[in-house]
Order: sequence, then structure tokens, then C-alpha cells
Amino acid sequence: MAPTMLGVVLLVFLLFNWVGGDPAYVLAGKISNQEQIDNIRRQLGVDQPYYVQLWIFIKQILTADFGASWSTNESVSHILATRLGPSLTVLIPLLILVTFIAVGLALAVAYVRGSLTDRMVMIVCTVGLSISILVYIIVFQYVFAYKLGWFPVQGWGNDFWENLIKYASLPILIGLTVSIAPSLRLYRTFILDEINQDYVRTARAKGVGENRIMWIHVLRNASIPIITHIMAELPGLLLGSFLIERFFSIPGIGREVILAVERSDFPVIKAITVYVAFATIITNLLADLMYKAVDPRVQLK
Amino acid sequence: MVKLAMRQIAAAVFLLPMFVSVHAADMTKVVRDVFPAAETGFDPAASNDTYSATINQAIFDTLYTYDYLARPSKIAPLAAEALPVITDNGKTYTIKLRHGIQFATDPAFGGKKRELVAEDVVYSLKRLADPKLRSPWVFLVEGKFVGLDEEIAAAKQGAKFDYDKKLPGLEAVDKYTLKLRLKDTDYNLPYVLAHTPTGIVAREVIEKYGESDGRAMSNPVGSGPYKLAQWVRSSKIVLEANPDFRGFTWDFTSKDPADQKVIAQMKGKKMPQVGRIEVSIIEEDQARWLAFQNRELDTMNMEGPLAPQALDGDKIKPELAAKGIRLDRIVDPEISYVYWNLQDPVVGGLTKDKIALRRAMAMSYNVEQDIKVIRNGQAVAAAYPIPPGVVGHVPDWKSGVKYDPAGANALLDKFGYKKGVDGFRTNPDGKPLVVTLFSRPDSLGRQQDELWKSAMDGIGVRMDVHKDKFAELLKLEKQCKVMSRPAAWIADYPDGDNFMQLLYGPNTGASNGGCARIPEYDALYARTTKMPPGPERDKLYQEMTRIAEAYAPWRLTISRYRNQLLQARVEGYKRHPILRSHWQYLDVAPNAK
Repeated sequence: MAPTMLGVVLLVFLLFNWVGGDPAYVLAGKISNQEQIDNIRRQLGVDQPYYVQLWIFIKQILTADFGASWSTNESVSHILATRLGPSLTVLIPLLILVTFIAVGLALAVAYVRGSLTDRMVMIVCTVGLSISILVYIIVFQYVFAYKLGWFPVQGWGNDFWENLIKYASLPILIGLTVSIAPSLRLYRTFILDEINQDYVRTARAKGVGENRIMWIHVLRNASIPIITHIMAELPGLLLGSFLIERFFSIPGIGREVILAVERSDFPVIKAITVYVAFATIITNLLADLMYKAVDPRVQLK
Repeated sequence: MVKLAMRQIAAAVFLLPMFVSVHAADMTKVVRDVFPAAETGFDPAASNDTYSATINQAIFDTLYTYDYLARPSKIAPLAAEALPVITDNGKTYTIKLRHGIQFATDPAFGGKKRELVAEDVVYSLKRLADPKLRSPWVFLVEGKFVGLDEEIAAAKQGAKFDYDKKLPGLEAVDKYTLKLRLKDTDYNLPYVLAHTPTGIVAREVIEKYGESDGRAMSNPVGSGPYKLAQWVRSSKIVLEANPDFRGFTWDFTSKDPADQKVIAQMKGKKMPQVGRIEVSIIEEDQARWLAFQNRELDTMNMEGPLAPQALDGDKIKPELAAKGIRLDRIVDPEISYVYWNLQDPVVGGLTKDKIALRRAMAMSYNVEQDIKVIRNGQAVAAAYPIPPGVVGHVPDWKSGVKYDPAGANALLDKFGYKKGVDGFRTNPDGKPLVVTLFSRPDSLGRQQDELWKSAMDGIGVRMDVHKDKFAELLKLEKQCKVMSRPAAWIADYPDGDNFMQLLYGPNTGASNGGCARIPEYDALYARTTKMPPGPERDKLYQEMTRIAEAYAPWRLTISRYRNQLLQARVEGYKRHPILRSHWQYLDVAPNAK
């Protein structure tokens, strides 16, 4: 865990200092002289030698205190705390729905593998996969929100249920459309690997019902790669939803990252990158624990 | 106990009509507006973006503002009682404040009413100079007020900025009188005092809510028409009418026939009428446009890429007009230009061959093509450095720089820039000639690169493009290391000085991005700074413009249109070139959606 985090820290630090640009020149305003710019650089600490800046970064990680945004002065911890909720309001229902729908459909098409239905579903999935999320967002927002008026075009409120039902529904629908196709294809492959195993033939020979075979025996054995896939996707989803958040004005983490990059707001970029790296490590750990839960043969050493 | 309760009820009944008479806003009247980019925060001295400034203008009073209908923009008193008394050749300003202006009620005032007084103005101006605050607006006060620079210097040496120290340049003579003493003559000071960064704050508020660097971005408390009711950062800003606001009567006048409808709608109304402003931040063009069409927004600005969706030329599309949607259109008080670095060894210098090279490049650029291709027709050609709506603008100026590729080629031939077999020219000394255009890696930057490349190819000048981030471009620019770059300048205040200073030599490293140093220009500019606005100063500006055309430190290109779309329910709107916040001048039908 420590070497991974150290790698992330070094990479973020190098990238920001190499390609990030000097924020003092933007923060100094329209009419500024070198003295004012130097004053800002001093206050931000970017005039310090690189090893000092790196040490400050490491101390910030150890104390979980990333200071305040250079652009807005808002504390980074407050930024994360307030942006996480809206992102999760979209992502948790999306993840649950995608998982259940994709697994269910994957079991169904795997069961009728080679049939016309299986082939049609796979063709639809391939076509769906080939279309950019941007196209889905633009078309769905235009058709379902503007033309049909089923959802608001954009917005976000204060009430959790209002946000979930009124504002997050269309983004979740788009997320489902985009995510089901690749998940379904992948899970189908995992399930097909299991369907051809000897234990399935044995179960059938013993007269076990097809439903039990598919939902208990096959699914349980296919769960490990499915869990791996879901857990690996989790941290990326948090940041990857920035397009949806921007188009639907959802004040989430993904949108905040883009804003921070546009503003060269290093404290925010640092914090989010480190926390996402940390979340990746934690979800990997959780995945290991879940392997053990679904398959007692797995040994945790 | 009963007596006490009765007294409280009696007091409440007695006071109620007073508040009602002051607070005209109807809380059921809601205007829904939109910003295309996120705000940063609401401290007038620290905010550095258009959208935060718009909110600040609704929350904070400045000493001066602008007449809502007058064009060109005309300064008008706001927290000040009247226009300043200017003495000592424009070096001393005496300003009387209105009595009875109240800050919005806030816990920082300990449950008491808090009147805005002269010391608040002094404190607010001093904050701009405090190095700890790192205000991007320090240039508004630095080098201006007697005694202030010494305080700034001391604070930069590590001393705490002394807000209590009496400065001769910033004096609160009494509760309602300010005396501002300047180091040099400056007739533009009222514009500075109308600018949003000089919004008046209360010291108690800053001390209660300020962060370690002295900024208070999250808890704005002003004396203006609105107060911050809700803020979901980068997503939604809700303002509500400030019940402590003194109110005003809509009594603006204008002889412009186009204004008569607005006057008829609004005249005599107690303002503000609108009780609640809901501002959404929607970055994506499609989302903004659909939200407006869906009536989720009452007003929105149609930038260049969006304009063809709503406009046929300069008119709103009939299907939108049929829904009652209106267009309010002005030319923004801005200029876009491409500058050439006058200190650069390739394109700089004041020798005839270098001047010829720059003039030829200026003549090679087709501004009409720029307007058509890059701006979707939503711009006008900029001929004069002072744009429309700004004092000193000359509407029918005949520029000496015109699109003339044949003339440009002839000029280069004449000054020894010979064409080689590859079709590209060399310097008069036979060395290769390569001009580098610095630009941003965005779609606008790429379009500009292509148009300039095409123009340069047309006169046989080889052009390279250097792409860099905005911050890096600024850094290089301040070091005079940018050979040429497309840039733009929007008015901070509606006076020609704000634009003519762009080529002033001593502003190199600050606002003079092209590092121009033209002695004739600089001498005239120095004279204009001692003069009040008027025909005499305008004449010098025209002379300076001719000098700039002759030396060609830049090629003026365009000024953009600002197309504001309004739903039918919005009344009283007229786009002001400088004022950002219009909500206090509007009315809408109540309970409408």
C-alpha cells in the first residue's frame, strides 16, 4: 500500500510541476507586476524548492489536511465532503442497477447461448458500446428532458429524495444505457466459462433445476471476476462521471476535478488524486474479502 | 410579563409598515439566471472572475454606480450622496455618504443595526492593498493614494498591515465624509469607486468570517439590494432581497426610442421588485440552451457558438419571437487584437523595415473572415482602440489599417523581405524569417491559428504556432518572451484610458502584453492622464491611435456582441455595458414558472 501511494504522490507532483502551469500568473489578475506575482507565489508556497514542496505534500497526506483551494479559499476537506454526496446519489443507484440488470441479462443470454436472442443482444451491445457517452447525454437530454419533458434539463436541490428522483433519474438512465452493454458482454463471458464446467453437468445429472444451477451454482462461481470488475470500476466511476455532472449541473466530484484542473488548483487536484488512489487500494482490499465470502476455497494470507 | 409582550406586539405593529415600505420586493417574484462558468467566492477585494463580481454587485454597495439607461455610460452616486467634489487639479476628492444606509442584519453585528459609514469605505479600500490578501485588484489603489504605498511596502517586509493607521490619502473626516488625496491628478477615480472590487464591507464581518489570509469568500454581508440565501458551490447561487436595503424608485430617463417601452413598464416602481434570484451554473452550451427553451431559465447570454440556434443575423428567430422571447443586444465594451512584441528581435523594434513587417502582417489579416468563421457573425470589426459604450469611442473612425494582402506584399517587397524558391520570405539581411504565434490549446485558439496561418501564407511569411497553457502564456508575456499573441481586453471602467493604457510603455510587464515602447505614444498618454474626459483628451487619443496605426504594435480585430435572451415575463431589462448585476432593475410576473 505504501509503495503504491508513494508512486501516486510522486507522479502527481511531477505532473503538476511539469505541465500544471504557474497559478500565480492567473491569480494575480488582469494588471499585475512581478512583485505581486512573487508575493502570491510566496503565499502559495510554489517559490519553495521542489523537495520542500514534496515534503509539504507528504505531510498533508499524513495529516489528511490539504489546506484550502487556491482559487476559492474553500477548505479542501469541505470541497470533498460537499461534492461526494451528489456524486454518490447518482453513482450508488447506478452501480446497483447496472450490476443487477447486467448480471440478470448475462445469465439469461448465457443460458440461451448461440441462439438468435443471444446474437441479437450481443449485436445491440456492440453497437451500444461503439457510441460515445457524449452522444447519449446530448440525445437523452434533448429527447427525454426537453422534447418529452419527463425530466428537468438540469439542476440540483437540497433534498436527497428530490435529487434522487427528480434530478438524478435521467443521469442514472444514461449511466445505465452506457454501462450495461460492456458489463453484460463481460459477465456473459464469465458465466459461459462456468456453464461448461463439470460441476454444472454433474448438477444437471443429479436433477438439480436449471434456475438453481444458474442462480446458485454458476453465479456463485462467476462472482469472483464479476466482483473484481465492479470493485475495480468503483473509484474510476467517481471521476469518470464528470461529463454527466457538467451536463446536468450536478455539483459532484468529477465536475470539481475538471474545475480544479482548469484553474490549476493544485491543493484540490492533490487531495482528490490521493483519495482516489486510496479508495482504489481499499476497494481492492474489499474485493479480496468478498472473494472469501462468496468462495470459501479462497484463502486470505 | 404580559405588559412586556404587549409592548413587543405594539412595537412590531408599529415597525411593520416601515419595513414594508422599505422592502418592496415580492418574494414570489423569482428570476432564474445562468452563469456559463463557476464562481469563486464573494469577497469584493479577492474575487477575480466575472460571475463572482456579478453576485458581489448585487450584495455590496460601492460609492458610485452607473445610470441604468444612459449611453455612453454615466457615473451616478450609490452609497455616495452626490458626485465627488474634485479640487486640487484632480488630486483631492471629497465625498459625502448617504445617511442611514444599513448593512444586512448579521450575527457579526451582535444583533444591532449597523450603519455604513466613511470608515467602512476607508477599510474596504485599504483591504485591496493588504499584501496578505493578495488582491488581484491592488492596481486600483497602489501608487494612487498618499501614504498607502508606504504601508504596502512595510507589510511586504513582514509587518502586519495596519488598518488602524490614519493615512492622509484615505481620510474619514467624519461619519459621513471622506477625503481622498491622490499622489497625481486622476479624473478616473470615480470609475474606480464604482468598480465592484471597491464594494464596501464591514470590518466586523471580515474579522468574524475571514480566513487566515484575510479573505472572506463565503459570508458576504453588504448593504446592497440582495443577500446570499443559499450557495451550492459551482452549482447554484440563490439571492434574496435584503430586508435592510433602503430601496429606490425606478426613475431612469432616456431619449432613445428603444428605451421607452422599458421606461413605460418600470417608471415609478419601488425597487427591487424581484424577491428571489436563482442562478444556476451550467457549463455546457446545450444544457443551457435547452434549459432556457424549457423555461427553466428566464434569461441567458447567447455566446458565439450558440448564437445561430437563436438568431437569424441580428434578429431573433421567428419561432422564438412567437413564444415572446426577446433579444437585448449590445456590442461588448471590449476589443480583441493580436499584438506583436516590440522588444522581439524578429518582429520588434521601431526601424522602418520592422514597422513595414508588422504593418504588412496587420494588412494580411481578414477581419471579416474572422467575424464570419470564428465568431458566427456575432462581432463587429474594431477600428478604434476604444470600443462602443466607452467614453472616447469614435463611431465612424477610418482606420489606416485595412485588409489588403496585395498592399502588404508590395510593402514587404519594398523593404527587402525577398521571397525564396519555397515561396516564403527572408529577412532583409537574408536570414530566415519565421514569426511565431503563441496561442491557447482550445478551439478558439486553433481557429485563430488557422486564420493567421492562412494570412501569413498569403504574404509569404512563414508562421509557427507555440501552444501553451494560459498561465504559462501570461508568464512568458510578462517577461516579454511572446512574439505575437491573440488577446482581448474588456473594460474595467467605461473610460478610454482603460484601453489606451494597453500600449503605454511603463505598463510593460503589467497590461502592455506586447511590451510596446513608442516614445511619441507614451508622451501623449502621459499628458492624457492629467486631463478630464472631454474633446481635448479625445483629440490626443485620436493622435495616439494614428501613431499606433503607423507603428503597428497590434492589429485590432473585433468587438463581440452580447446577446441576452429574455423570456416574455421579464420586464425592465436593458443590458448595461459595465454593470453586471441587473436584477435590482427588473420586474417579473409573480408566481410564474
